[in-house]
Amino acid sequence: MSFFRRKRLFTILISLIILVGLIGYSLSNREELSSVEEFIQDTVGSFQNVLLRPVYYVRDVIGNIDEMKQVYEENQQLKENLSTYQQKLYEVQELTKENEELKAVLDKTETMTDYRPIQATVIARSPEQWFNQVTLNKGKQHGVEKDMAVITASGMIGKIQSSAQFTSTVLLLNGFDRSNRISVNVDLPETETDAKGFILGYDDTREQLLLEFTDSYEDIPLDTTVFSSGLGGVFPKGLEIGSIEEVTTDQYGLTQIAYVKPSADIEELNHVIVVDRLLTSIDEVEESGDE
Amino acid sequence: MSRLFPPLILFMLIILQGINFLFIPDSFEASGFIVTIHGVFVFLIMIGLYYDEETSYYSFLYAILSGLVLDIVYSQIIGVYMFSYAVVIYVIHHLRKVLHVNFYVSSFVFFLAIILVDGMIYWLYQLIGITGLSIQDYLEQRLLMTLAMNYLVFLIQFMLFKRLLARYSFERFEQK
Repeated sequence: MSFFRRKRLFTILISLIILVGLIGYSLSNREELSSVEEFIQDTVGSFQNVLLRPVYYVRDVIGNIDEMKQVYEENQQLKENLSTYQQKLYEVQELTKENEELKAVLDKTETMTDYRPIQATVIARSPEQWFNQVTLNKGKQHGVEKDMAVITASGMIGKIQSSAQFTSTVLLLNGFDRSNRISVNVDLPETETDAKGFILGYDDTREQLLLEFTDSYEDIPLDTTVFSSGLGGVFPKGLEIGSIEEVTTDQYGLTQIAYVKPSADIEELNHVIVVDRLLTSIDEVEESGDE
Repeated sequence: MSRLFPPLILFMLIILQGINFLFIPDSFEASGFIVTIHGVFVFLIMIGLYYDEETSYYSFLYAILSGLVLDIVYSQIIGVYMFSYAVVIYVIHHLRKVLHVNFYVSSFVFFLAIILVDGMIYWLYQLIGITGLSIQDYLEQRLLMTLAMNYLVFLIQFMLFKRLLARYSFERFEQK
């Protein structure tokens, strides 16, 4: 009996050590998932991809019926908007052509705005709400890599946290903290230059992003759109992130901060686009230099 | 079938964990409740109560495996679910020896198990720094609603699987 007790104590100790080891391993700053994790994630992911289709289909149909009620009013408004867009479209076409010509003159082909879109569908969401993660049905085989930005038609929603062979995990904007900053530009109407800053994280109580300006700017108007600047080295330039809701100073009164409301709806996700920046980042240049 | 049934259902439930957010009403989130549906764990309790014999440890084994898969797929912090599921199912397995299982007793066991497992997951995540929720906020915002939602899941699973599990358990262990 005493042997049995000792054995039990031994088992408890061993399992605690394993627990601490596993948690420590997964919290460590690793670049890639291990192949076992990739395999399990891919297996569950591919089943989800097939089996959950009907569920999402039903949800979409119900959503569509809801939307149909407002279709007529929206249609009227959209028709009015359309006429103004014709004019804009012409301007944009002219500008694009001019831009291309100028680039050709300068012999500059790549810019920070260029990216290759990878279409993906959300197949699952973490059941634990403390993890602001969703799973996509595209992975390394489709070109999805860690740290790529993920957007919808209305704006940025997050970045790739890890990618397996056929699935990948997205960290949503409301899970961002100081370790995943985004370098951003705010378009100031009066001056030539943009206001520059960083998205530092997400304020859970206000449900808005926290933007810290690198400089002090006078009168930043509310509702100005915040774009990624491409200077962080990971995301392309010009992805819409959100609009400014409030400008204030931080708790010490030294730096200017603003609260930014994300323009994409993070709760209702269906089809998303993974953004593969074409201009190679500094890290990639260094890597290829090492080889 | 008597051997395959529990792991098959478990795998289905693991896949369904990914769309749990569809079953949680939006009004919950708007009023600040954080709800987690432990569909897989509820089924593990069912296995522990109605399938396992006193000497067999299937529920414990499945708890470790499904906890591991859930960790890898949905949170990428390995060990939290695995450890909590395994420990609580182990406790239930021992509780079962002294209890006479009927609906009311299994409801009681269910509440005990969910409080233990959800509390343990919260404690571990707080220890690592995933959540900064204080214990009082946890009790108010998460535990009560989680208990209520999971009890619904338990009732559904009880009606669907109880008889099947008891039958397969009989085929598996007695009919030899």
